[in-house]
Amino acid sequence: MAELEDTQFESGDSGASATFPMQCSALRKNGFVMLKSRPCKIVEMSTSKTGKHGHAKVHMVGIDIFNGKKLEDICPSTHNMDVPVVKREDFTLIDISGDGYLSMMNDNGDLREDLKVPDGDLGNQIRTDFENGRELLCTVLKACGEECVIAVKANTAAEK
Amino acid sequence: MPALATDNQIEAVSKVLNDTSRPLKERFRALFTLRNLGGPKAVEGISSCFTDSSALLKHELAYCLGQMQDPSAIPVLTSVLKDVQQEPMVRHEAGEALGAIGSADSLPVLQEHCQDKVVEVAETCQLAVQRINWLLDEKKKCEIDSAYQQNPYCSVDPTPSTSIKETEELKTILLDESLPLFERYRAMFALRNKGDVESVKALAEGLKCNSALFRHEIAYVLGQVQSPACIQQLIQRLELADENEMVRHECAEALGSIAQDECREILQKYAEDSARVVKESCEVALDMCEYENSPEFQYANGLTNLD
Repeated sequence: MAELEDTQFESGDSGASATFPMQCSALRKNGFVMLKSRPCKIVEMSTSKTGKHGHAKVHMVGIDIFNGKKLEDICPSTHNMDVPVVKREDFTLIDISGDGYLSMMNDNGDLREDLKVPDGDLGNQIRTDFENGRELLCTVLKACGEECVIAVKANTAAEK
Repeated sequence: MPALATDNQIEAVSKVLNDTSRPLKERFRALFTLRNLGGPKAVEGISSCFTDSSALLKHELAYCLGQMQDPSAIPVLTSVLKDVQQEPMVRHEAGEALGAIGSADSLPVLQEHCQDKVVEVAETCQLAVQRINWLLDEKKKCEIDSAYQQNPYCSVDPTPSTSIKETEELKTILLDESLPLFERYRAMFALRNKGDVESVKALAEGLKCNSALFRHEIAYVLGQVQSPACIQQLIQRLELADENEMVRHECAEALGSIAQDECREILQKYAEDSARVVKESCEVALDMCEYENSPEFQYANGLTNLD
């Protein structure tokens, strides 16, 4: 998911709420926003012309960060929108269990086995590359109580 | 940058604006389309409508010409300000628009009307003279520019906001009838920029102040903030039959902008008011209300509605 590369992520664990409010006009393309109650990355934004009181509406198109579905919404530019707190972390893939769970380790050596191999092409790629003996780094995205692997890359440094 | 619209399209939108057989709400949307497009053809189209019989529409023409800040509108605005046959609210708006454009050439005519018999016109011209004097002073011009950065709405205000931040202090200045209008306006715009419930409630208290011009400006900024916290105060003012029409009109449009159900109900009621400007304001406000609650993207949709 190259398009996530240019994005700012929260570092560390945030014990606070899953979203925070931000004025619509302060949102930017490539940032995150909740659209139809789903955490999305903004891929398109346009602002309407104004009427008497100088208000504009903002039209936003976002991609659900977990399922890739396209969502859109229109909001007055001065209203607050919810922005999801999105956390990203890379894990080294250790194993894939028979029932489809990933066994992964982070930089601190903490092991986790609670996430499944994702559906679709990404999941197939992980299985194939793993079976071919590649060292894999899985990128896990966490927002609004949901968590899943959204990208994988070969850890070329470890392979050498 | 390519032109946003061709001259032919601008002429077509101008035709809608000038067509007395069209519903007022549609003519308003055409007007704001021209305001947003700008340029000499748009200014010409707007200027040609000052012969209309609706004071509400004419005052909005002047408002838009001011917001466009196009110096080519100065002659028509000057003649409207001087024309005592035009309604007070139209002349007021022409004076304010000259202040918004901010040319030193407008100072003599504005100074002349600082003592106008119509108090709203006189007060407007006093504010406009002060605004232009600020623009002419390098240091104070910086203050206007930085205040403009603080404004979350796309509007050219009659005075800059003050840099004071404390709501209680701003409220005290706002409501102090002994202070110059210019200072109180500066507090008003600072409270508007803050926009929280406490600030909105402070602003709403200004609806009871002595100057009708001041009360109408309060209603305008409440329409900008769109906070439900002032709906009742705006309704009370709209319902006062002996309140200045300019104030009632601005309350109606603010309610249209806030666009809650209770706003719509009261606007429907006063859309039959005996004062033409109030009746027409409710008509336009109901259209704003509909726009705010709809997924419709552009209010100023005059171009998309051309055949």
